[in-house]
Amino acid sequence: MNNWRAIWIVFAKELKDALRDRRTLIAVFISSVAMGPLMLVMLSSLMGKYEQRAEARQIVVSGLDSAPTLRNYLERQTFTAKPPPADWEAQLRDSKLGDPVVIVPPDFEDALAHGQGPRIELMYSSANSRAQSGLGTIARLLQGFDTEQASLRLIARGVAPGTLTVTRVDEHDIADNAARAAQLTGMVPVFVLMAVLYGALTAALDTTAGERERGSLEPLLATPASRGALVVGKWAAVFAIGIIIAVLSCISFLPAQSMLRSESLAALFRFGWVEAAWFIGLLLPFAGALSAAMMAIAIRCKTMKEAQANNVILTMAVTMTPLINIFNQEGESQWNLWLPSLAQTTLMNRVLKNAPIGLADVAPSLLVCAAITAVSLAFVSRQLTKRAAQ
Amino acid sequence: MIAMDDLRKQFTSGKGRKARTVMAVDGMTLHAQDGAITGLLGPNGAGKTTSLRMLVGLVTPDSGDIRVDGLDMRTDPQGVRARLGVLSDARGLYPRLTARENIVYHGRLHGVSDEVAQARCEHLARLLEMEPLLDRRTDGFSQGERMKTALARALVHDPANIVLDEPTNGLDVVATRALREALRVLRDETGKCIVFSTHIMQEVQRLCDRVVVVSHGRHVADGTVASLCELAGTDDFEDAFVRLAFGAEGQPQ
Repeated sequence: MNNWRAIWIVFAKELKDALRDRRTLIAVFISSVAMGPLMLVMLSSLMGKYEQRAEARQIVVSGLDSAPTLRNYLERQTFTAKPPPADWEAQLRDSKLGDPVVIVPPDFEDALAHGQGPRIELMYSSANSRAQSGLGTIARLLQGFDTEQASLRLIARGVAPGTLTVTRVDEHDIADNAARAAQLTGMVPVFVLMAVLYGALTAALDTTAGERERGSLEPLLATPASRGALVVGKWAAVFAIGIIIAVLSCISFLPAQSMLRSESLAALFRFGWVEAAWFIGLLLPFAGALSAAMMAIAIRCKTMKEAQANNVILTMAVTMTPLINIFNQEGESQWNLWLPSLAQTTLMNRVLKNAPIGLADVAPSLLVCAAITAVSLAFVSRQLTKRAAQ
Repeated sequence: MIAMDDLRKQFTSGKGRKARTVMAVDGMTLHAQDGAITGLLGPNGAGKTTSLRMLVGLVTPDSGDIRVDGLDMRTDPQGVRARLGVLSDARGLYPRLTARENIVYHGRLHGVSDEVAQARCEHLARLLEMEPLLDRRTDGFSQGERMKTALARALVHDPANIVLDEPTNGLDVVATRALREALRVLRDETGKCIVFSTHIMQEVQRLCDRVVVVSHGRHVADGTVASLCELAGTDDFEDAFVRLAFGAEGQPQ
């Protein structure tokens, strides 16, 4: 029998079979396709709140009545002072209060007038991320008050305030918008990668260990179709399902963009059709290798349950490998491009940063994925007969 | 026609000092003619399933010859499989596919066109009285319904040779009778060569033209039911089988 025909027949059957498994597909859809955009929208909502708070220019301060000079300074900086609630300490600890609290002592004005350096306390909790996010702004604001008062005293003594400023530090952020956004959107490649993984997992297990468990492998091997054609047909179906889920996952980020509530994130996050096409292109060899590797692990197992347990290590490796980028403080290394999963996330992050990608960058993972696919499929083909008779 | 000559197969389990070798088949010979039902009769563990798996190519024999319609298993395994319709003890179906889809899938893998496979499927559904099942998903099928679907799947490419491994396992009386009737039709109307493995005496008596008795992986005797009774010196076929398979004292030969 013609091998190509057999491959097509097996592929069409396995694809139909997998697409009829609605319950699994819905679970995969929710976990892999909807989760990414949902996280992005939640992140943007969080950032939106921070932005709103920054625009509100509000400071929670206690004892301001005894500090008219400070009040005057705050009003000139267009900040609105608000007294803290009575139980501010408890609220700050429990993250119910989202602003740090400034405590001004009752003798502030008198101490200031006599040059005694009154102490202002800035209260926050490092466990309260909301309050901590506003800490820098308030600290800079109070530093500004300090600088202004010091300058006035120097001027009163006939000393130029610049005397105390020996050097000047000018900060310049040289990251472009896309690179800045990639810090926030770095999770997108991981979600897309997981979509491929979970999309292909059930099909990979069902076409191998599932065949053994239900006793349909032996009759299948009694047909004249070659082992190679059966394996390639099955693999093609698993690969196709992984890619379909990956495509859906990538496309789902396109409408998610318009739902971003943070204006700066919306302005920075550029994920259009071009980026989606790059993602899918980079994922193709990975999906092929992953499908074949999962099938190779599963063919040795007699049941789906056993195959699932055996695939946990591979699943963990795929999801944990991209974390190397987070822990690695030295930036990207050349070897990153040789390690599947890490290579894909690295390259997808480059796409998000709008950084150039050449053939030399793609070639290592392409070679490794092709090798994994070939070795795994040869192994499955060899094991097929052996395992059917066990 | 199916011919298996002096097949031998041993399995080794474990490694090193713990390795254990079991002789599963030790000189198995079977010749099954066209237009006849040949029974492969033996107790549990006699090597029937291993012999049939060697016939299909799922297990490679250590020695011996297998020929199906003159084709050698060693040199043309795909040609041999194409001429066989196999109902093995593993009768798994795809639960999300209908009975028709299960049957046609195997037909197409045997090189039959979709149209022919569909027509054969309809024909077999009539023969096996399973027409109402055809467009139902096989998930939830009873044992009898599963057996009928698996049998139709094994026959969809109209093979010249049919191999059935303990086909009545788990079937009720009605399903067993239906299967027996279908096999008679296949033998008498289409001249198929049918090999039927079992350990149930009544099935052999009612159905088989020839019987090959196996015990402990070895071919012990073969002939018609009457000739085997004569050989064992008894009128009762069950007694004859016990004497041939286990010796006069009921011990393995």
